Amino acid sequence: MYRFGRLGLALGLCLCLVPAQGIAGSGTDDRGVILRDWYRMILELVRHTPTYTPPVASRSFAYTAIIAYESVTVGQQRWHSLGGQLAGLPPLPAPDTASPLDPDAVLNAAMELAVDTYFSNTGPTGQRAKAAMAKAMDRRVSEGMDPALIDASRAYGQAIARHVIDASLSDGGAVVENMGFPMAYTLGGEPQDWVPTSLVNLQQFPLLPDWGNNRPLAMPDAGACALPPPPPYSEDPSSPFHAEAMEVYETSKSLTDEQKLIARFWSDDPMLSPTPPGHWVSIVLEIAARDGLPPEQLADLLARTGIAVSDGFIANWRDKYTHDLLRPVTYIRRLIDPVWEPLLITPPFPEYPSGHSTQSGAAASVLTAALGDPFPFTDSTHVADGLPARDFPDFATAAREAALSRLYGGIHFRAAIDRGLEQGACVGAFVNAIKTAE
Amino acid sequence: MTCTPLLPALLLLATPALAQDPALAPFAEETASAGFTHSFTGEWEFMVGGGTAVFDCSGDGNPDILAAGGTAPAQLFRNDSPQGGALRLTAVPDSGLGETGLSGAYPIDIDGDGILDVALLRVGPDRLMRGLGDCRFTDASADWGFDGLDLWSTAFAATWEKGATFPTLAIGTYIDRTQETFPWGNCTPNHLYRPDATGTRFAAPLPLTPGFCALSLLFTDWDRQGTPDLRVSNDREYYKGGQEQLWRLEPGQPPVAFTEQDGWQRLRIWGMGIAQEDLNFDGFPEFYLTSMADNKLQTLAEIPATGAPLPRYRDIALKSGVTAHRPYTGGDLRPSTAWHAQFGDVNNDGLSDLFVVKGNVWAMPDFAEKDPNNLFLQRPDGTFMESGDKAGVASMRQGRGGALADLNADGLLDMVVINRNEPAQLWRNTGSGLGNWVQIAPAMSGPNRNAIGAWIELRTPDGRIAQREITLGGGHVGATLGWQHFGLGPATTADIRILWPDGTTGPWQTVTANAFWTLPQGGDPVPR
Repeated sequence: MYRFGRLGLALGLCLCLVPAQGIAGSGTDDRGVILRDWYRMILELVRHTPTYTPPVASRSFAYTAIIAYESVTVGQQRWHSLGGQLAGLPPLPAPDTASPLDPDAVLNAAMELAVDTYFSNTGPTGQRAKAAMAKAMDRRVSEGMDPALIDASRAYGQAIARHVIDASLSDGGAVVENMGFPMAYTLGGEPQDWVPTSLVNLQQFPLLPDWGNNRPLAMPDAGACALPPPPPYSEDPSSPFHAEAMEVYETSKSLTDEQKLIARFWSDDPMLSPTPPGHWVSIVLEIAARDGLPPEQLADLLARTGIAVSDGFIANWRDKYTHDLLRPVTYIRRLIDPVWEPLLITPPFPEYPSGHSTQSGAAASVLTAALGDPFPFTDSTHVADGLPARDFPDFATAAREAALSRLYGGIHFRAAIDRGLEQGACVGAFVNAIKTAE
Repeated sequence: MTCTPLLPALLLLATPALAQDPALAPFAEETASAGFTHSFTGEWEFMVGGGTAVFDCSGDGNPDILAAGGTAPAQLFRNDSPQGGALRLTAVPDSGLGETGLSGAYPIDIDGDGILDVALLRVGPDRLMRGLGDCRFTDASADWGFDGLDLWSTAFAATWEKGATFPTLAIGTYIDRTQETFPWGNCTPNHLYRPDATGTRFAAPLPLTPGFCALSLLFTDWDRQGTPDLRVSNDREYYKGGQEQLWRLEPGQPPVAFTEQDGWQRLRIWGMGIAQEDLNFDGFPEFYLTSMADNKLQTLAEIPATGAPLPRYRDIALKSGVTAHRPYTGGDLRPSTAWHAQFGDVNNDGLSDLFVVKGNVWAMPDFAEKDPNNLFLQRPDGTFMESGDKAGVASMRQGRGGALADLNADGLLDMVVINRNEPAQLWRNTGSGLGNWVQIAPAMSGPNRNAIGAWIELRTPDGRIAQREITLGGGHVGATLGWQHFGLGPATTADIRILWPDGTTGPWQTVTANAFWTLPQGGDPVPR
């Protein structure tokens, strides 16, 4: 148990870390366990809540991790607050008094409110699980502690969470209706324009067409990493566009078992996985467990990764609806093979650029900056689903594989993959400019 | 056996239906006046379930209703409706079925004594209840060697394997309910109960692993090879690495799951109910799979000229107009949640219609709270028209189980719906001037009295042959067993042929419309 001071020194607060006297459990630090267990819950809630298509999930990962970071690092001189550094996020509130606070209780209260808010749409089982987790965690942090201390700590943790939550309400992504599918939408109507690719009625309009208008956190604006257009649409067999389509088609005809495995490993389907942004969060958590990272560093990584994927999806979605390009399955069936089937289910939104490529590129950029290169790691995200773990020498290799998986899966052209990775690097650079550790 | 020649006049009467909207079948809610006072209640462990078993326990030929109650006692209602009159139910307090903890129930004549028994599916050990007659039942689980296990049971199907004197049961289960904080990925196995060597008891349950949180099971001869396989619809909310399943079940052999190498295509939905009917008259059943948001209507992708088809299906829900993905009335435009589904010809025009029970799982904000049940009427071109609101059955309650059955013996299918934490409902089909009908009950003298697994072929004067498999399972934790209802449109007779589950084929036999006919194996049709 410590006496906290915020690094929001502009408020003139500088409280010392002082061990509390006479309180059972003093000096223990369970913040790593609290983070781990709440994030385990979060990865399940993302998977099992229909609202969480990848862009929506990325936003929740970002704000939840910001709350986690601010709660873990509060009072520690070495760590800079994100308040004032991120768009729309004012400086965080300082504790009201010089009263001692318990760091575990602060973090747990903040995480509980964050999870309850950003995963509020989950069903009865998720609600029940959240409640059970909250109860167990509350018991863990409260046992043998002074109730007044716990109450004060809880109040401050909730204040941190509330501050971030309030800031997030105006970013444009707070309300998602109809699982993200608009009730009305006018398709472009030109040969190159996106058209529905699914027999699912809900998906006859594209997902979240306005998501690119959301306020990013680290990028100065949604267009800061805008991409050039894809190769000009053409049905001429000698055109670059047709060549890209042929690459998708021919690749699909000669897929190796390894390529099929890669496609499925990075498929990260909503409601059947933690989604693409959750996949990178899972990677971070696995590394943290392997390397025994301290909670401050873990929270920092989670925040940077969350902001990277969230801004990545905003940049990516902006370009998707700018270029409104059709999917390979549409072009190939129209001009090359009318009965062609891609390996993966084609997502219900425009093709260019590849969302997974952008967000993977962004995540790899921030993790490389934070952890170095090379940085071997194992990715066990999908073991419970029967997909074996994969080893990577560094984050960039993983991101490239994630991007290429969309070619193997038959859902993206080459340009969307390559430019997507470039866009991710651009987004990552903005995130890397955020100052956290001193 | 006689095979009545078709009259030319009837051929003229049976003109192809025009490509126009089908005739509406109006319904009148008679829940209160009929005395149908029941609610399926409960919280998390009863967020699914709420099935109803509709079958004749009184011996009067009319179907009675057993409604699961969740935390409330199940109730058996004797059907005292006068023929063609208002519906009238009478609760049977001493039925022996008034247990709590029921998620659903299925009627089945396990011991072949001609009196229907009941399988009670429970959150807790399941039970098999022997029918004693006069709507009374006693627990025969021990007598029949049935180990009900202590699981969360949510699905059931039964078949009689070739040569067996006792049925084979499949019971589907849901989540390991001890896993409060992390229930996901903790689906418990389904189990297969086969007869033991005595042929009068069940052997120890055989786990069908992996289990993926089944909410509907159905033994179906989907490929018309004469041996039903077990179709399993699973709730993707809870499994990891799961999908819809199809198990091959050869007599005397362990069950084997179909794989991609067998042609099985991976499909992952919030599977909640299965309904089967041959909609396109090709002899192979279509499957309607309920889920959340879009529902699926599957038809075989390819039927080879010879040999068995592969289990590859096309989803034709969108083009058929039965995605039922959001409410069609009431103003709540969030996606729907569908549970029980059942085909039946509610307007007697000779085309099967589709009844779907809807209801939010439990305050899920992504999904409609006011989610009306669907009653899709089939058009001659194979598409469907929503009629729930016009028919008067667009209930906004939290539906779960349901049934279509002719409760007052007037040839019109009536409707039962079990709602969660709200009163169940009952509607009488009040249509008039609709088409003709016939109701058929194939009867075997052996252990499989109700001819589960038989195919009924019904030929109308226009030469079209409707084919229907008699199944026991599917739906959402409940089923109807008894008269097989067919609408005939203008036809006044129909030719019937039974493909019996023992592999024999009966003769074509002509029956007159607007009547109930028992078809004993090897005998002439017997009017009710």
